[in-house]
Amino acid sequence: MEIKGSVALVTGGGNGIGEAVAKHLAKQGARVAVVDMAQKNIDRVVKDIQEAGGEAIGIQANVTSEADTARFIKGTLEAFGQLNIAVSCAGIIRDGTMLSLDKETGKVSKKLGYDKWQAVIDTNLSGTFLTLRDAAEAMVNGGWQGLLVPISSVNKAGQVGQINYSSAKVADALMPKIIIGEFLMRGIRNIRCVAIAPGYTATPMLTGMNQDALKAILADVHLGRLVAPEEIASMIGYCVENEALNATTIEITGGLCYPKGIAK
Amino acid sequence: MPTFTYNDLQFSLEARGDRWDLSCARPDGSRGLAGAGLFPGLSEGDALARANALARTICPVGIRTVGPDVNHPNTIGDLKIVGPDVTHPNFIYWDKESVSCPREL
Ligand SMILES: NC(=O)c1ccc[n+]([C@@H]2O[C@H](COP(=O)([O-])OP(=O)(O)OC[C@H]3O[C@@H](n4cnc5c(N)ncnc54)[C@H](O)[C@@H]3O)[C@@H](O)[C@H]2O)c1
Repeated sequence: MEIKGSVALVTGGGNGIGEAVAKHLAKQGARVAVVDMAQKNIDRVVKDIQEAGGEAIGIQANVTSEADTARFIKGTLEAFGQLNIAVSCAGIIRDGTMLSLDKETGKVSKKLGYDKWQAVIDTNLSGTFLTLRDAAEAMVNGGWQGLLVPISSVNKAGQVGQINYSSAKVADALMPKIIIGEFLMRGIRNIRCVAIAPGYTATPMLTGMNQDALKAILADVHLGRLVAPEEIASMIGYCVENEALNATTIEITGGLCYPKGIAK
Repeated sequence: MPTFTYNDLQFSLEARGDRWDLSCARPDGSRGLAGAGLFPGLSEGDALARANALARTICPVGIRTVGPDVNHPNTIGDLKIVGPDVTHPNFIYWDKESVSCPREL
């Protein structure tokens, strides 16, 4: 599929990886719907795309809401008349171990709050489901060529302190297999699905981090630096163009290893 | 420059080549770009009609941002993350068609 002339929708497009994806696809000639909760960030990204001569629309929405999802899909179709690429970048973290112990008594002093569990599952898993489901519905009904891109994470492997996040991201990574299997069953041939699992990526969240903690993370990255959001974006661009990529999850980590050099 | 008001928001359309940019005055007084490079080849009247319909879809009545909750950042080590929080919704919805949504909650 060609990026030029296509229409892309990027949730979480107001910041970090989503912003890079929106800008990359716009630069390659796609018309882009930037969906995010933060209006200021949406405005900034749409303005940047405009100044670079691109076409974009900004839609403030919460991906965990079914009504909002229907609204941003409808808004995209109203502005651009079709939909070809849906990238689900909206995501949050609420880290913490499931149990914390009191050092003196050895008894449980704190449990990971259900609110922290639910918020991450809602945004990172249910939000992705709603975005991809409704985008696919539009693509099927419109008969357009399409690509669905859930954003997983290398922490799908199971990261301590992230039982909520890792659970959501491993489920996101499974989606391409299930969705494409179902599409085959139902005779839907115009839509592909490829998940992307980034490693530690230089989004505002990570670059503002404690530099010692960051150094410790980078010691396990073969590339020796964080992955750039633009590198994730160009991988997604490649996925659009290479039609043999389908029903799979691609890791892009710069060579993230477990301590002692075992590739993750 | 053609303008219109919808749901307390003032929109204006500006021609850029054969396309239209749609900007919007936010309730907090700031101005943002709602869309860039829209409606290629359409006349001003047609673009205005399309922009009106688009505004009604993407800015439904009764959606107002009230977050993020800066008083309760998520903390990891010395990192403070003030992200959107679905358990304390950043959006308040109300369902009546009105041009005077409450500015104070
Ligand atoms: N940065 C990394 O190292 C990394 C690594 C692996 C995976 N990821 C994944 O990549 C995606 C993007 O991460 P990032 O680092 O760019 O994050 P980020 O915080 O920079 O951007 C996420 C964006 O999503 C938006 N968002 C959050 N909840 C939303 C909601 N309910 N509705 C609409 N928008 C919402 C935020 O406003 C923000 O603009 C996430 O899914 C994240 O889990 C990131």
